[in-house]
Amino acid sequence: MSGSPENHWYCVAMLSGLAEARKTLLLGKEITVGSGADGAWAKSADGSLMPVIERFGHLWACPGEPKKDLFSIPEADGEGRRLVDVGSVRVRCSPLRAVENFLDVAHFPFVHTDILGTESNAEVDRYKVEVREETDEVWATKVKFHQPQAAMSATGGIITEYMYRVPEPTCAVLYKTCPPRPGEWDVITLFVQPLTEEWCEVWPWMALYDDDSTLSEMVSFQQLIFMQDRSILENQIPKKLPLDPGLEVPTQADLTSVAYRRWLKKTGYSYGAQLVAA
Amino acid sequence: MILYDYVLSASCYKVRLMAALLGQELSLKAVNFHPAREHTSPGILALNPVGTLPIVVDGGLVLSDSVEILQHMTRDAPLWQTEDETWFGFAARLNETLGLARLHDILGYEADIDKVRKEGVTALRFLEKTLSDRRFDGGIFLTGPHATIADIVCFPNTALAPDGGVSLDPYPSIRLWMRAIRSLPGFIEMPGIHRLHELAPMPDAQLAAAQGGGS
Amino acid sequence: MGWIAGGLCADVPPGTVIPVCIGGVDLAVWCSQTGVYSAWADRCPHRGMRLSHGFVRGETLSCIYHGWQYDQSGSCIYIPAHPQLTPPRTICATSYPCASRDGAIWISLAASDESPPETGGREPVRSLPFAGSAERVARFVDADLDALAVLGGEADLAVAIQPVSDTACMVHAFAANGYDPKSVSVQLESMRGEFEELAA
Repeated sequence: MSGSPENHWYCVAMLSGLAEARKTLLLGKEITVGSGADGAWAKSADGSLMPVIERFGHLWACPGEPKKDLFSIPEADGEGRRLVDVGSVRVRCSPLRAVENFLDVAHFPFVHTDILGTESNAEVDRYKVEVREETDEVWATKVKFHQPQAAMSATGGIITEYMYRVPEPTCAVLYKTCPPRPGEWDVITLFVQPLTEEWCEVWPWMALYDDDSTLSEMVSFQQLIFMQDRSILENQIPKKLPLDPGLEVPTQADLTSVAYRRWLKKTGYSYGAQLVAA
Repeated sequence: MILYDYVLSASCYKVRLMAALLGQELSLKAVNFHPAREHTSPGILALNPVGTLPIVVDGGLVLSDSVEILQHMTRDAPLWQTEDETWFGFAARLNETLGLARLHDILGYEADIDKVRKEGVTALRFLEKTLSDRRFDGGIFLTGPHATIADIVCFPNTALAPDGGVSLDPYPSIRLWMRAIRSLPGFIEMPGIHRLHELAPMPDAQLAAAQGGGS
Repeated sequence: MGWIAGGLCADVPPGTVIPVCIGGVDLAVWCSQTGVYSAWADRCPHRGMRLSHGFVRGETLSCIYHGWQYDQSGSCIYIPAHPQLTPPRTICATSYPCASRDGAIWISLAASDESPPETGGREPVRSLPFAGSAERVARFVDADLDALAVLGGEADLAVAIQPVSDTACMVHAFAANGYDPKSVSVQLESMRGEFEELAA
């Protein structure tokens, strides 16, 4: 993987929200996104078309030269899943801080109290973290945590199992126990569009097995969860994610975060990162 | 009572919070305000042609003004009522300033952002001065010795000011007023307004660790 | 800078924490259940979350993000994700000298041998933000930027000016014992109005 941020894929719009062209920012530069007869497009400020992909209900653009195809999520294609456009929320934080927070379960009891976690069951057991060399992705598996209300369709407390996957520096995919379909995984993603190094637009997207909830209820649940994180993300100091050890203190529960930071540093991806301990 | 609700709406939260404080049952109907703009769909417009949320349906009654909704909800709870309508207008002012700044910062709404933030600060200064005077008199709530719907309609957009880039740091009386509201029995949170964790007892695991001398 | 007033005790009652910014340095100032004040760098050593968003239980402050709990010395004593773990002593919040005196909370960004200033028997009234630097406000009220500037007048007003940034400061006001605080409050508001009109 190339460290140059320009050569990565970024989510820049929801396909269902492109009826009118609009301006936005990507890596600090103005771009325009829209759609026409040939599909959705993204243009840089000088009017040139950028490489684009339409996938997961969203438009993806690469400001430079893509080094590989955008990742796929085969699990999301399963029959009977409901694909949920959650929309976007803007956050004044580093895009990398937004991704790191999404990879964390230890904050559930305090930030998503009585929904994703409770203070009386705050313990995080050891889980497995690895960088999968063949795909160059960070994976955390066997993450188990007690949840009082794991999803819209869940009633009562359960032990939920999660797998986390970071296929791109600004994207994270969460697979979690699906109460109505044991053996299957619900898919919840966080696609982060870096507007600047300290400002981002976050596009959650979901592929769920849920025959009971209305679409609006599912959207509402995910917006509730993410907006609870927003006030945390806007109040971390420094704003950029420190990649060097020393400034922040990880514990065993933070193994995913440690692996994510190391992986960013190894690949040289530093947009939104702080490299020297301040 | 049915509430057509949007989870991130400060005004819908006024209704959810009031119901929780009164111990009233509320049946929530989630409306996909963002991204689907469902509040402008024919079904919702039939209930409220203005296209705003919240909408409350109670039997044959349909209400879409948050003050009217709270007045309706507290019709049998005289302690929550207030004659002082100043605060209803003030709540609207908070919504047009801090509330708009918030929609701008979170969802990208069009706004003259510097202007609405500045007007929001002016509103917060007025609130701070008023609450400071209340405290000199030994009180903390806006209209008297206990919380009324005046407090409930002003609370959400004030507490959510940081969502729109307006700091609450320089307002000590507003902070204590918000704390008093968050301490009310039955209080519920919304995204951007955390509960007071200190009101919950320390969990058993932590107590055990403390008694073990942390060893 | 010596002792700087960071707030009034009445505004930070036992069991609460507030953010205080002194000349660009962000602090979490908190009061324990037994009334002990502390001023710490506003950063949890774990993930950099502002501790001023946290919560006070007994004699401890906890971070809102992951619940890491710190005792009055600043040492982390409990990590909820690892209930069996005794946190290493190296996990510690950065603390600054902090003391309450005559109803005000005084903070020093450097070690100090001196005691915080006296308010000369005056009572704390209220704190309010001015849209201008501490230096400009001090010039406006014709006072040195000392820890406490006596303005006098009928209410025997004195102010402690807390520098925040180039465009903001907090003014903590004190007045003669027994003087009507509401009228002092009105006086402060009009003083601020004049200052900000001039500054604009």
